[in-house]
Amino acid sequence: MTTALKINDLTVSYNGTPAIEQVSFEVQSGERVAIVGPNGAGKSTLFKAMVGLLPAKKGSVQTNGAEIGYITQRSAVDWSFPVTVHDVVMMGRIGKMGWLRWQRPIDRQIARRSLAQVGLIDYAERQIGELSGGQQQRVFIARALAQEAAILLMDEPFAGVDTPAQAAILRLLDHLRDEGMTVLVSTHDLNMAMEHCDQMALLNRRLIAYGPPHQAINPETLTSAYGERALWQGEDYAMVLGDIDCCGGEGHRHD
Amino acid sequence: MIELWELLIQPLRYPFMARGLLASLMVGTLCAVVGTYVVLRGMAFFGDALAHAILPGVAIAYLLGLNLVWGALAMGLLTAVGIGYLSRRGQVKEDTAIGVIFAASFALGVAILSTVQSYSVDLTHILFGNVLGVSEADLWLTAGLGAIALLAVALFYKELLVISFDPILAATLGLPLNALHYLLLLLIALSIVVSLQTVGVALMVAMLVTPAATAYLLTRRLWHMMIVAALIGAVSSVTGLYLSFYVNVASGPAVVLVCTAFFMLAVVFAPRQGLLWKR
Repeated sequence: MTTALKINDLTVSYNGTPAIEQVSFEVQSGERVAIVGPNGAGKSTLFKAMVGLLPAKKGSVQTNGAEIGYITQRSAVDWSFPVTVHDVVMMGRIGKMGWLRWQRPIDRQIARRSLAQVGLIDYAERQIGELSGGQQQRVFIARALAQEAAILLMDEPFAGVDTPAQAAILRLLDHLRDEGMTVLVSTHDLNMAMEHCDQMALLNRRLIAYGPPHQAINPETLTSAYGERALWQGEDYAMVLGDIDCCGGEGHRHD
Repeated sequence: MIELWELLIQPLRYPFMARGLLASLMVGTLCAVVGTYVVLRGMAFFGDALAHAILPGVAIAYLLGLNLVWGALAMGLLTAVGIGYLSRRGQVKEDTAIGVIFAASFALGVAILSTVQSYSVDLTHILFGNVLGVSEADLWLTAGLGAIALLAVALFYKELLVISFDPILAATLGLPLNALHYLLLLLIALSIVVSLQTVGVALMVAMLVTPAATAYLLTRRLWHMMIVAALIGAVSSVTGLYLSFYVNVASGPAVVLVCTAFFMLAVVFAPRQGLLWKR
């Protein structure tokens, strides 16, 4: 296996206060990594720093030149915007098209292929807000495919998505894994993460644990990330009390 | 039939009416197209403020005997950049920055104009437009500036679309967010400047917002929205001008009221979002 992503000693500050500190880990290509941790732990910050939206104060992110596709939280998207599913996927091609250029046949072809890959080709002409939450996530995955991304960052993709739709997304991610797509998912759902991800990163400003689920998650690491709210209920089940997503996203703290 | 034709053609026998019609047609189209971004990005207050803030430039150009457009253009660009800079610095919120600059420059403009003898007539023209005073030179200037603005909208269509829908994607693709944001402010400023003579400062925001808002209710792709908005803007401008000719009301308000009538119709009858179908 080859290394897809190497994060080395990454420190990012938000208005002067460090949001993540000295985070280091390595992801092999094709792996699925869950980023878990309490609200304000820096999960979104980590993603934003990886794509260069926030400057790193220290440390580095190496991707071997691979494109990163970043799927933001649902709440960050204006779903009533006048764009069709096709338009959204085509946005992924903008970087490849260049300035003052219209879409070429190859761009349309790649956009259609990406939509077919996520099983939404019949929805191409729908306005983006007319789709269900799970379908919308798949549209954004198609956009990352159109972007020719090899690394996918998904910020809370399962928030507000029902169980069958979540299963459909996970199946799709399994397919993409076969093609070498590396995926980082931030989530509040520890059990989903333990069941469906190869590695887990337990984050609370610092990286508390990193590794296969059953190594990364144990009573000590959980308490260290979540404090007294963590409940450990045996090998296959862990939960965190009172960790509902209070305001639909990060960007604020509850100290 | 003949009478209807006569009704349409008669005003055009007056050269000033013909020029006025052409000018409103161009302005209605341009404002509507640029206005789609104003509506989608929630910049209506910014547009209104910018329209008022160009007043000192207009007043100074007037005193110096220059074409008002140049004064407006200079002031428009200065204000657009000033507001962009102040709100980006983050010392005050954007709408606060807009409020401060808007009122201050409007006051300055009125103060300068009030030193002139024919103060009230001039101020009325600037506030509410004087479409029948459009000269041939004005027409050419409107056409030239309007063409530049529309060309920019077309050339940067995909970039402006992505920074409006998903600025985070735009940033990960390495697009220059700030430059594109200023380009948009500049386009809004240009639209306002060329509309100065036809609709005037006070009602400008309606030309930017109302046709685009109507189109928003009727379409689901950005370029469809632009085309529909342009049609509504153009038709309203012409209809409003005819109304003002026959009913003898001021032309700027007439145009705005026609736009608003279209908007109300869309609110009630729009295919998916209309009030009529929501019950």
